[in-house]
Amino acid sequence: MIQAVDTSVEFAGIPLRNPVLTASGTFGYGTEFAPFLDLRRIGGFVGKSLTLEPRFGNPPPRIAETPSGMLNAISIENIGVDAFLNEALPALPDGVVVIASCFGTDPEDYARLAQRLSDSPRVAGVEINASCPHVKSGGIEFGQDPKLLGELVGRVRERVSGPLIVKLSPNVTRIAPMAEACQEAGADGVTLINTIQSMEVDVETRRPVLSNVLGGLSGPAIRPIALRMVWQASRAVDLPICGVGGITSAEDAIKFLLCGATAVQVGTTNYINPMAAGEIADGILQYAERHGVSRVTDLIGALEVNSPSAS
Amino acid sequence: MTESPALNGSPIRTRATVIENRADGGGGFCLTLAVSGWPGALPGQFVMLSAGPRTAVERWDPLLPRPMAIYRGHQPGSAGESTEIQVLYKATGAGTRLLAEALPGQLVRVVGPLGVGFPSPSSGQRVCLVGGGTGTASLYEWAVRCARKQPVSVLLGARRAQELIGLEDFEALDVDLRCATEDGSLGTAGRVTALLEPLLADVKPEEMSLYVCGPTPMMRACSERASRAGIRCIVSLENNMACGFGVCLGCAVPLTEGGFSLVCKAGPIYDAREVDWAGLP
Repeated sequence: MIQAVDTSVEFAGIPLRNPVLTASGTFGYGTEFAPFLDLRRIGGFVGKSLTLEPRFGNPPPRIAETPSGMLNAISIENIGVDAFLNEALPALPDGVVVIASCFGTDPEDYARLAQRLSDSPRVAGVEINASCPHVKSGGIEFGQDPKLLGELVGRVRERVSGPLIVKLSPNVTRIAPMAEACQEAGADGVTLINTIQSMEVDVETRRPVLSNVLGGLSGPAIRPIALRMVWQASRAVDLPICGVGGITSAEDAIKFLLCGATAVQVGTTNYINPMAAGEIADGILQYAERHGVSRVTDLIGALEVNSPSAS
Repeated sequence: MTESPALNGSPIRTRATVIENRADGGGGFCLTLAVSGWPGALPGQFVMLSAGPRTAVERWDPLLPRPMAIYRGHQPGSAGESTEIQVLYKATGAGTRLLAEALPGQLVRVVGPLGVGFPSPSSGQRVCLVGGGTGTASLYEWAVRCARKQPVSVLLGARRAQELIGLEDFEALDVDLRCATEDGSLGTAGRVTALLEPLLADVKPEEMSLYVCGPTPMMRACSERASRAGIRCIVSLENNMACGFGVCLGCAVPLTEGGFSLVCKAGPIYDAREVDWAGLP
């Protein structure tokens, strides 16, 4: 008889029934997935990045397909914190773990927003989006400079007592100093990676495909880069890491766990298969059963490397 | 964005089996799928489709599913039985070319039905449907339903006769059917918008509702002509989208009143006056 597998993990102080979350910006406010997926089957979800006021996004075209990936330049279109707290959250079933994503143009914005969200009993934790690559001010300015990032996280930490997660940008030369800055500033966990800054061109019109010119690349194309950065960050900090980037299957998710991630986020795949996050959670359980793994936490950082200095 | 009946049922996500994938000789294809648990659909709704894996290995290039109007198959399926639904498409890009290679028995990923349906015309009005290219597909079931209650004119346009998608099906309906081809190979030579002129000549605003689906310049031209005649014009917009159910935010179109609307969720059906046509790419 197979012994029941314990799939639960704790990420940034948040107990999760399994390590599968969904990535900000790919899961709306959760209710959009109600026809397809019982949100209690997955560890939880990260909502669309919020701002203090509602915000419109960029003019079209906003997305473009690329080899095994896509570009987007939506620009933090969102309903604003009030509508999120008063309308979106109450529409969710009980028992759904919600992580709220915060975006601002200065540290004070981030701190006020994070505090309001963190104060809600329905919000399990806040994730700072310090890495959106296609907004003119805010976000990535913080995400590319460890000093600025540390100051931002420190400001938010002063106001937020609950779980505080920072989503890191891959658009840096070295990821380790960014993760270290978050750790020193008191973050409870880091999520990586956000999209990779990219562009695409239409040769017929000789114009960029996106109205914003630049966008963020996501999808299976970025998975090896995400995996590499999770591996590097996990060797640099003691903070728990949430791995995200191109996960389409349970096997992909397990790769991130082996490289040191405590949890994962499914992103672009939600668009293509709105049931994917649940299927990935089931697949991790099946993998554990197949490999005689009694606790999913035993997979975290279990990568066997012959030359551990090769980081 | 327009007032319309509620969804018949919640959308589903499933793998459907290809029954037939017939080339029409003009670059178009009619794909028939067997879908189990199909909740039915409203005329005007669409599905997201992507050619599934030929083997057990998933493929991720092209990555995104493609939105396609439901041509036939608006009735809900009976419990335990699969329903046949049909879409019409042209193999123009990577996704549709891959779909064009799908063989009977192959699995195709389906999410749907999505979006809202067409709003009803007022009773007694003449209903005028204008279709261009594959846009014709979303109008067929609406023509069937409207023709049961009121007079219907259908104006179809394409570059050449072979590209008039679904022509035989429209010919079988009890409607006033008129065609235009740019090369003059069938019907009036020229654009479909030219067929609209005589119909609008003496009509009073309350006597007609116009429904248009086709290339954006055609819809815009119809919208402007209807506006001059004071006639209500409903358009079914097409747009690139990654999900089809309101989360990727990729399919935003600018609105006259400012801001954006998601074609997948608030649309694809809009009153033409709501759309900021000049702001469309």
